[in-house]
Amino acid sequence: MNFLIAQAPATPPLNFWNGDNATAGLWIKIIIGLVLGFALMIGLLFAPTRMRRPIVVTFTFLAGLFWMVQWLWPRAGEGVTEPTNATEGVALWLKDALPVVTDFANILTAFLLGLGIYSLVSIHGKRLIKKQTDWVFSGILLLSIVIMMIFGYADWLTRLGEGAAKVELVPGFWNRGRDLLFDGMLQQMDAAMFSLIAFFILSAAYRAFRIRSIESTILLSTALIVMISIMGAIVFMLDSAAAPVSNNLKLSEIAGWITGSLQTPAIRAINFGVGVGALAMGIRLWLSLDRGGVSG
Amino acid sequence: MQWADTGWINILFVLVLITAMLTMILTNIKRSKASREGLYIRRIAGLNAIDEAIGRSTEMGKPVLMVPGIGGLNAISVQALNIFAYVTRTAARFANPIRLCCADAAVYTVAQEIISDVYNKEGLADRYDQDSVRFVSDRQFAFAAGVSGIILREQTAATFFLGEFFAESLIFAETANSIGAIQVASSTETTQTPFFIAACDYVLIGDEFYAASAYLSREPVLVGSLVGQDIGKILIAGYVLLGVAFNSAQQFERTTDPDTQTSRPLKSDERLMYMIFNPDPNRGKPKEEEEK
Repeated sequence: MNFLIAQAPATPPLNFWNGDNATAGLWIKIIIGLVLGFALMIGLLFAPTRMRRPIVVTFTFLAGLFWMVQWLWPRAGEGVTEPTNATEGVALWLKDALPVVTDFANILTAFLLGLGIYSLVSIHGKRLIKKQTDWVFSGILLLSIVIMMIFGYADWLTRLGEGAAKVELVPGFWNRGRDLLFDGMLQQMDAAMFSLIAFFILSAAYRAFRIRSIESTILLSTALIVMISIMGAIVFMLDSAAAPVSNNLKLSEIAGWITGSLQTPAIRAINFGVGVGALAMGIRLWLSLDRGGVSG
Repeated sequence: MQWADTGWINILFVLVLITAMLTMILTNIKRSKASREGLYIRRIAGLNAIDEAIGRSTEMGKPVLMVPGIGGLNAISVQALNIFAYVTRTAARFANPIRLCCADAAVYTVAQEIISDVYNKEGLADRYDQDSVRFVSDRQFAFAAGVSGIILREQTAATFFLGEFFAESLIFAETANSIGAIQVASSTETTQTPFFIAACDYVLIGDEFYAASAYLSREPVLVGSLVGQDIGKILIAGYVLLGVAFNSAQQFERTTDPDTQTSRPLKSDERLMYMIFNPDPNRGKPKEEEEK
């Protein structure tokens, strides 16, 4: 979704899909859009069960086709607004349709986020009302949501209004409150969670590097070489000792060979497999060949 | 128009690739449907362990936890949800509670539909708990804290971390490890795979993740598409080898330097492979014309 949103230009130029603010034409388009939208929803709700899969398959295919064509079709030249041939006509239509399609994605995301918040409130609300185990934490969560919403909205209003520049110089109660909640608490708690990883790495590494088998011994040896190779003083000493014998025996050379010739190809091979797998999965989804959990 | 420069070679390459993959997938689906024994898929330990993990949590009477990563709704999370549908089906048969935690609202909505559908199809709609699929948070570390809390509070006996994971992967894996949960994990991010290998019992590496739904269901369409995907991979590897051969051969090629009029080896940006993948409409034109 974020990928789709990122592609939309900030202010799309006027075209078939939009209109000037507060004009009759725009209102007519909005009403037609609403009527069509409701008709579509009602149609989907009342569609016979056996028809639902063909509808989903058709929508999925058309949506996938739009992005395929959008990506593959030649772009119209810079500044071209009137098509001179059919190819340019399609290219311009695709250019105009892109913000509309991304808007669909935005609207859908907003609805889905609402469902997500409903899930949170429902689970924690029930726990709070029934006073189940750890209901206090649920209460804190719900309270935090409400407080953050109030301060966030008030802050947004003041920063966007006429006194926006003034707020930048002298922040008011709502702005300071929002900064305290967001920067002073949320960001700090995020950082605290992130820093826990250091301790987790230590305990995970201890278990992984214990010599239990040939594989773990190889892992331990290579890890040691690579780790030591980034300790400047030790590298200097070991490299100086190895230099008279052979440059290939230098620690930095061995570590470079491990990362360049073993690690990088292995990572590329994994990425290659993942890429092809994603492509095949994408094709299966696009053509609705996959009747597993999602489309079953 | 875009096809006025050599950039179209990339597009052509991708088109050929997609067409070849599509052909391979469709042909092998047909082959798989026609074959009685089904097409061969090698053993994947991580996927065999799914039943073992669910069995263990049934014995202990503790829930099974599933996390489809923190990415948005894409092929990766959809694949993770496909695997979770299988896990849920097995868990539902043994009346085992499940917890599916999502960090993305779109993934949450799809997950909710899939899980409820699984229970309905099994005829066990009464066992479906709406709160078993949860939206925790869309902030990375708030999600990590929330899921870790669930693992510790509910003492989950089996955990499945499949999908797009980033820095939070080790927080999940180590927390689950600390309570002795059996863990099956896979991340499409190569930077996180080592963390999972260090902390989890079974790890699906790379494209094993995409083979999971075919491996578990043995459905001819999925198995055929998996085999087709592998043949496609061999084809691409062939392309890569061809590119390596071209590039290597051109290392021995020499050209006359326009400035010094002496013979010298080709520079890396003068080789065919570089030029194909780095199209420049002005390449080869005299400098004056380029400036105009």
